[in-house]
Amino acid sequence: MKIIVCIKQVPDTKDVRLDPETNTLAREGVESIMNPYDQHALEEAVRLKEQYGGEVVAVTMGPPQAEEMLRLAVSCGADDVVLVSDRSFAGADTWATSYTLEKALKKIGDFDLILCGKQAIDGDTAQVGPGLATRLDIPYITCVQKIREFTENKLVLERMMDDGFDVVRVECPLLVTVVKDINEPRVPSLKGKMRAKKIDITKLSADDIGADPACIGLPGSPTKVVKVFAPEPRGGRAVFEGNLDEQIDQLVDKLMPYLS
Amino acid sequence: MLKVSEELCIGCGICEDSCPFGAIEIEDGLAVVGDNCTLCGACVESCEVGALSLEVMEKTVQQDLSSWQGVWVYCEFRRGELAPVALELLGAGRRLADKRGVPLGAVLIGYQTGDTAAQLIGHGADTVFVVDCEPMQVFREDVYSRVLTSLIRSHKPEIVLAGATAIGRSFIPGVAVKLNAGLTADCTGLEIREEDGALLQTRPAFGGNIMATIVCEDSRPQMATVRPKVMKALEFDKARDGEIVPVEPEPDQITSCIEVVEEVVSEEVSVNIQEADVLISGGRGLESEKGFDLIRELANAMGAKVSASRAVVDAGWIPYPHQVGQTGKTVAPKLYIACGISGAIQHVAGMQSAETVVAINRDENATIFDVADYGIVGDLFEILPKLIRKIEERR
Ligand SMILES: Cc1cc2nc3c(=O)[nH]c(=O)nc-3n(C[C@H](O)[C@H](O)[C@H](O)COP(=O)(O)OP(=O)(O)OC[C@H]3O[C@@H](n4cnc5c(N)ncnc54)[C@H](O)[C@@H]3O)c2cc1C
Ligand SMILES: Nc1ncnc2c1ncn2[C@@H]1O[C@H](COP(=O)(O)O)[C@@H](O)[C@H]1O
Repeated sequence: MKIIVCIKQVPDTKDVRLDPETNTLAREGVESIMNPYDQHALEEAVRLKEQYGGEVVAVTMGPPQAEEMLRLAVSCGADDVVLVSDRSFAGADTWATSYTLEKALKKIGDFDLILCGKQAIDGDTAQVGPGLATRLDIPYITCVQKIREFTENKLVLERMMDDGFDVVRVECPLLVTVVKDINEPRVPSLKGKMRAKKIDITKLSADDIGADPACIGLPGSPTKVVKVFAPEPRGGRAVFEGNLDEQIDQLVDKLMPYLS
Repeated sequence: MLKVSEELCIGCGICEDSCPFGAIEIEDGLAVVGDNCTLCGACVESCEVGALSLEVMEKTVQQDLSSWQGVWVYCEFRRGELAPVALELLGAGRRLADKRGVPLGAVLIGYQTGDTAAQLIGHGADTVFVVDCEPMQVFREDVYSRVLTSLIRSHKPEIVLAGATAIGRSFIPGVAVKLNAGLTADCTGLEIREEDGALLQTRPAFGGNIMATIVCEDSRPQMATVRPKVMKALEFDKARDGEIVPVEPEPDQITSCIEVVEEVVSEEVSVNIQEADVLISGGRGLESEKGFDLIRELANAMGAKVSASRAVVDAGWIPYPHQVGQTGKTVAPKLYIACGISGAIQHVAGMQSAETVVAINRDENATIFDVADYGIVGDLFEILPKLIRKIEERR
């Protein structure tokens, strides 16, 4: 069995902020991290491998710096890692990203299962997984909170819904996006770290995967960002006067219109 | 390509600070763009001397945009109920359609939808396409996606909106890829651009620290999922006129690789926190599962729903579907009361579009107060019981 995990390097959100006055991003040494949801996807892949055997390949489309994250993936249990990287991929929206990943996965070859995070915390779109599955013409299930069974190429999954969850049965090949509830990611092992240091990272360029230049990067993206700006600052804090009881009374006044 | 004009660049370094990806460095008094540039454009806006520009290759294939007309709303229907966000989207869709001078269509997919179609007309739709048959009773990504894709292909609406719910965010991305359409996720603002009638879609990015406005200039339809609770539904008007069009899906559209074995509805009836008007949210400050019961009591007293910070979910006091924040749900209720929550950026990312925020915390320096409209500094084990009692007295 071959499991592919799509992982993305993202800036740690806590460092990213727009200065409302100058409308520029205040950046205090932005750290790059593996997208949190993708850590859960990777962990699930490694667990499945440990239970059922097979191979885990982690794939990312990103700048050369993403190598660092791929090594982390190896230290957490990935057998092989692939960096899909080319200057011409820059500016890709989810349409172009899913196109590029489709081409890369076809190059990597047969797979039984693809795992993605539910969404990447930089764009928060949750669109790449479903887009990729649609391009590959395989079924997909989003927001999976548990893999219950995996027998004879069939999976029984719990898919999170707004009002509870659905239990669904699907056959491989299949793409699944996972939420954080699915597992607790492990910390890198010593052995893993050693392997990570030495591993040869497979690199694929736009030519290698046979990508159509009109479909990748900014030119290939149907959505265009025309403006970025700071969110409206939230209302300043209103401090209630008086002792605690008086403060609570004033708060109750404010809350009354919301009672139902 | 991000281009730096050597003549204009003064090496001030503002762009270096403005890049969320750390892709720009000043070398010998000139901005140099690194490989990890994603062409997001943040620096272009920040450059005071106009030295930075994004060069976009012209798309060679131009679609015939004018053959796409009308605004459509996908109306989610599950277990005999219409998702409230559907009516909100009809309100927004009506406004956009009027601005464009085009009709507003609604697509209702479900089983035993009763008089829902008429209700959609009363809330603003001109035409309702109803796909009401047994295979639509359960949600299956592949079936829903084929049915909606085929409808869009034959009627060619210029704009398609759907709620950013579990269902909408699951199958709409598949539809968009099939149609080769751009899709903007989880929008909080929709406007029509005067010059060319394009849809301006505004959404938060980077956990809500940045707002971005997005357009799809040269592809149709323009598609967006929209956050529940931010758009306003129109009052029901039974005098409104409209047409109901029943649609029978083709057999190959309803064959599925996905089998729904069971649907489990959460015991906690109020699990759908994204549709709540009022949320009482508890954090680690409640100290224990028992302490967290105070949150449930306050919610009961107010007729509100319960949510929590990640710390509480990780501690197991309440299940994950109640988690607000970057790795949980994004909510936009009318009122959000944060009790014993410190206001970590990852939490704030999920609740900062609430209309009114109240914070109760004993630490006056807690960052939650920065996003709160009203705050009380104090011990919640003293405040919450009093608050509950006073509310009950005044009901
Ligand atoms: C990648 C990533 C993703 C994350 N995603 C999320 C997310 O989706 N949602 C989320 O919420 N967090 C998320 N977090 C975690 C986040 O950083 C915080 O750790 C978390 O929000 C803290 O929860 P808290 O405010 O309940 O607890 P704490 O930070 O421990 O705050 C408890 C607060 O309660 C107050 N308090 C204590 N006792 C009392 C009392 N008796 N009376 C009054 N006040 C009291 C304290 O002053 C304190 O401010 C994420 C973190 C990471 C790294
Ligand atoms: N550049 C990328 N390389 C690899 N995987 C990605 C990339 N972008 C997104 N993904 C995957 O798609 C998921 C959803 O991302 P998004 O649609 O950007 O929110 C992520 O959790 C990843 O699993």
